[in-house]
Amino acid sequence: MAVARNRVVDLMKVQCRIFNTIFNPTGERLGNKVLRARLKGPALASYYPRRVATFKDLQNNYPEWQMYNEKEEDRLEHIQVLKAKGKGAPKKKRTAAEGKKQQKRRK
Amino acid sequence: MAQFRAKKLDLGGFVNIKIIRDHTKRKVFEQNEPERQALRYIIRNTSLPQRMRTQAQLQLTQMHCYTQPTQIKNRCIMGGKGRGIMADFRMSRFQFRMNALAGNLPGVKKASW
Repeated sequence: MAVARNRVVDLMKVQCRIFNTIFNPTGERLGNKVLRARLKGPALASYYPRRVATFKDLQNNYPEWQMYNEKEEDRLEHIQVLKAKGKGAPKKKRTAAEGKKQQKRRK
Repeated sequence: MAQFRAKKLDLGGFVNIKIIRDHTKRKVFEQNEPERQALRYIIRNTSLPQRMRTQAQLQLTQMHCYTQPTQIKNRCIMGGKGRGIMADFRMSRFQFRMNALAGNLPGVKKASW
């Protein structure tokens, strides 16, 4: 036995009211699927690992504590050794004149 | 675009300019996603006036390219590579192999039969 169309529509209306959905018996395109979709921004934005506390932060927060940054000390020691051998980085040129002097000497 | 970039680097781990750029795009997209979705809703809703929908279309296309999700690309978190990325591990295929063999990835095992 076929059920009358208006009965079905009434049922749909009640269903929409109860479940809080959009009543759209004619199947029009209302774009609600855009609103229904979850936002994917938070998942995308958390892709790369964020910055966490570093050794320097710890040192800045507790300046009264004695700490030993092994990596940094090793680096400084390496630079000291290079400088002692005369293989260190050249001194930074502060003015344009200093840089020019170097160029002339090369010629 | 530098105007979107964080003033202080907020990334840990491997960093290069491509990763910073991609990270910036992700954050900009996250901020603008509700606005984009609202415009997309107006465009797709056939019960709204045609003029309004066209205006929404224009507004959506005129948003900055950094707000588009298509600008985002998965990159390797270990080396910044853009190709051959395994999305589940966020690593390029070679980094994945090295880490898997070293036992850094829980549950990943070399197949043998």
